[in-house]
Amino acid sequence: MIDPTLVLQALVSGILAAGLYALVSVGLALAIGVIGIVNFAHGEFFMVGAFFAYQLFVSFGIDPIVSLFLVAPALALIGAAIYASTIRFVLKAPELNQMLLTFGLGIILQNLALLVWGGDPRTIAGIPYRSVGFELGPISVGLVPLASFLISLALVLGLYWMLARTATGRAMRAVAQNRVGAALVGLEVNRVYLVAFSLSALLAGIGGVMIAVIQSPTPTIGLAFTLKAFAIVVVSGLGNIRGVLFASLFVAIAESMVATLVPNGDTLRNAVFFAIIFVVLVWRSRRIA
Amino acid sequence: MTRAASGRAFPWDAVGLIVLIAAAAVAPDVLRALFGRASVSYLSIVTNALSLAILALSWDMLARTGQLSLAHAAFYGAGAYTTALMLRHLELPMWLGIPAGGVVAVLFALLLGSMTLRLRAIYFAIATLAFAEVLKSIAHHAPTAFAGGNAGMNVAPLFRPAFVAGEMERWEVAFLRNEAYFYVYAGLLALTVLVSMALQRSRLRHAFTAIRTNEDVAGVMGVRPARMKLLAFMLSAAGVGMLGAVEAHRIGSVLPDQSFAVATTVLALVTPIFGGLYTTLGPIVGALGLSSVQELLRRVFDDGYLIGYGVVLVMTILFMPRGVVGSIGYAWRKRGSGPSRAAPSAAPGSDAAGAPTRAASDAPADDPRAEAGGDA
Amino acid sequence: MSVLLRTSGLAKRFGGLAAVDDVSFEVQRGEIFAIIGPNGAGKTTLLNLISGLLVPTAGSVELEGRDLAGLGTAARCHRGLGRAFQVVQPFPEMTVRENVLVGAMFGKAGIGRAEAERRADEALAHVGLDRRADDDAEELTLMEEKRLEIARALATRPTVLLLDEVMAGLRPVEAREAVALVKRLRDEGLTIAFIEHVMPVVRDLADRVLVMNYGRVLTTGSYAEVTRDPRVVEAYLGADPEEATP
Repeated sequence: MIDPTLVLQALVSGILAAGLYALVSVGLALAIGVIGIVNFAHGEFFMVGAFFAYQLFVSFGIDPIVSLFLVAPALALIGAAIYASTIRFVLKAPELNQMLLTFGLGIILQNLALLVWGGDPRTIAGIPYRSVGFELGPISVGLVPLASFLISLALVLGLYWMLARTATGRAMRAVAQNRVGAALVGLEVNRVYLVAFSLSALLAGIGGVMIAVIQSPTPTIGLAFTLKAFAIVVVSGLGNIRGVLFASLFVAIAESMVATLVPNGDTLRNAVFFAIIFVVLVWRSRRIA
Repeated sequence: MTRAASGRAFPWDAVGLIVLIAAAAVAPDVLRALFGRASVSYLSIVTNALSLAILALSWDMLARTGQLSLAHAAFYGAGAYTTALMLRHLELPMWLGIPAGGVVAVLFALLLGSMTLRLRAIYFAIATLAFAEVLKSIAHHAPTAFAGGNAGMNVAPLFRPAFVAGEMERWEVAFLRNEAYFYVYAGLLALTVLVSMALQRSRLRHAFTAIRTNEDVAGVMGVRPARMKLLAFMLSAAGVGMLGAVEAHRIGSVLPDQSFAVATTVLALVTPIFGGLYTTLGPIVGALGLSSVQELLRRVFDDGYLIGYGVVLVMTILFMPRGVVGSIGYAWRKRGSGPSRAAPSAAPGSDAAGAPTRAASDAPADDPRAEAGGDA
Repeated sequence: MSVLLRTSGLAKRFGGLAAVDDVSFEVQRGEIFAIIGPNGAGKTTLLNLISGLLVPTAGSVELEGRDLAGLGTAARCHRGLGRAFQVVQPFPEMTVRENVLVGAMFGKAGIGRAEAERRADEALAHVGLDRRADDDAEELTLMEEKRLEIARALATRPTVLLLDEVMAGLRPVEAREAVALVKRLRDEGLTIAFIEHVMPVVRDLADRVLVMNYGRVLTTGSYAEVTRDPRVVEAYLGADPEEATP
């Protein structure tokens, strides 16, 4: 007999996690939709954000909340640098070259982190609010997960607003829908790409700061989160930026349910994502006649 | 610029294979004579290079159909675990684990291949990666009594040369063991090379290239893409599965994170891309080049040596998308043509000719250089 | 004359859109059959359905009286269906001869290497590309690429050849060459069904014409008959079909 409280708890945890996942995924969706590049290194931006937060805390005692404002521009700069030095040159190359390039970039970033910080988990210990939580009836809600959820939601909705209302956002949507047409109307496509890529790195980096407080990151979480972001982006339909929120909810809740309700489920969390990716991709491919 | 008709070319590849086999036959003894005790580790290094070559060549065979797999770690791990499980639960000769590893890997390849037939390149890659990670998860969660779970299993070595006091020095025991493994690897590589060469000389080469370039067009010309892709998958997995099995014995254990490590996949794909895709020679050249770099890197960085491969991959894609062998071959083929014959920068994902060719062909009869290029 | 190719009630829907709707026609053995219609009328989709690249939502295709349902593109090729594409896509990494060799080797089952090379050379000679046989496919001019496309299809020894807007992008001189080639092929026994926008070519070549609009058959008949039909004229937005150009 499954305890309904447990199910409810799993549901709530899933919803809270969905915020962070949406934040990371929406950046990937941006890269795919606007630039047209499947960025295998996306999760590494997330990982770098986490480790920057860790390092800032350990070396300078900077609270992660403050780090958010430092890491965001840093990651944007890193994203811009990577775009300008490598990605820009393969935009006209076959898709597979782009994939391999970002794959290589991901390897570089991940191993760079391994070299600098080693493979052990790094904990940001000693933050007063880290273990604060409160009870909503039978359900316990952690302050940090709740805050991450709210911050992530705000950022994602902010991005949606930006895409819909600002000139830059409209430019991005124009490019996403019609690359050639957009260029013909005088849009500086390259600049739009640069902004989109930097933005995707920035968003992932912010997510990383938050995860550093929730969990203890290792350099390998980059790949795990790349795949998680892929799962969500694939479910919502590649390039569909708006569907990411709902897809994140679906996938995050599924993961949470498995982790809580299936025996030994916690270690199976990641496998849930892989299985979802695989099944959705294969199933979709078969529906096309 | 014309090219000699295929099939009438001098059989460089056969000559090369014979030379390699001859070299392999004498290599251990030469090393021992030259370096004495140090040859034990040198032999091990050379064996690692052979291992990488087998991995790279096998991956390339699948890539020839346009399927860039990120699942090779799964085939490797499947082979490793097969021999480990056989050792633990069955009373069969140890070496049977090697072909068995190949068979099991092939079965997984059939499974994965048939499900991903309709997936386009990138989504194929992602799906294969997901598949590999699922297998790794299964290995993690396998019941400990059956398959070792998180802690893995020990695997007995294939060779245990006996130490005879007075007739040999202590290090020679290690040397004999390494030598034995060396020959096994060399044999496996020779087998893989033979398969690759047979593929390149047969009509399958044309079929694979056609499918890789454009599956629809290939189909309309009578090539059956599904059959070909599955065949390539099976051939590719067989070599890697057997390699995994042998390595399990040589390393002495199987572990989920180690046997199914993403690093294996990375090595499998970076090496042939660097060396030159869709050829027999390319992956081997890549393996020789990169394994020596790898040795260096491994001594300097312990964890994180893979960064070298990342850099190589990025540099290759940016500056040398055809790989070493491919770039040389391309330059050789185009040596007589004028600059107007610039072709689109082909690469791993080479598609049908696009805009650049069209532009060059808009003024064919009028361009004297074009005429000259055609006559040379 | 017997019926070589027949479609009955062929239809293809994508979601709510019917790209092809209830298309039925027959192509007689040895004739040149043209399929025309304004852009977006579903002509290429029709060809894709016949080739096997798309699975129909309704209807059937018969070749020499045998239903092609369930057969993939390769199997249909083995039965005698040849196809040349609108956007020519040669295999760039191979020579011209190798490109054609693929068709020769796999177009029919059980063709040995020697026989395949013979068929390939024959097909090349047919289209006049034999002198370019050893050149890389990516070095061809547009006209040569189109010839290669046809040679590849010919090498599969089809009984019926499907052509899709071969004349697109050709200069008048080249177009005349292409028309002559098609006539030659028909004279040698090949049945041809082709999509075309260039009306003078249709008038020159076609024994019968099928007009499509919005995925449906508008009418069939000789060139003279269909161009006089007011519905056809209207479908082309009132433009004189004689002057329609790509």
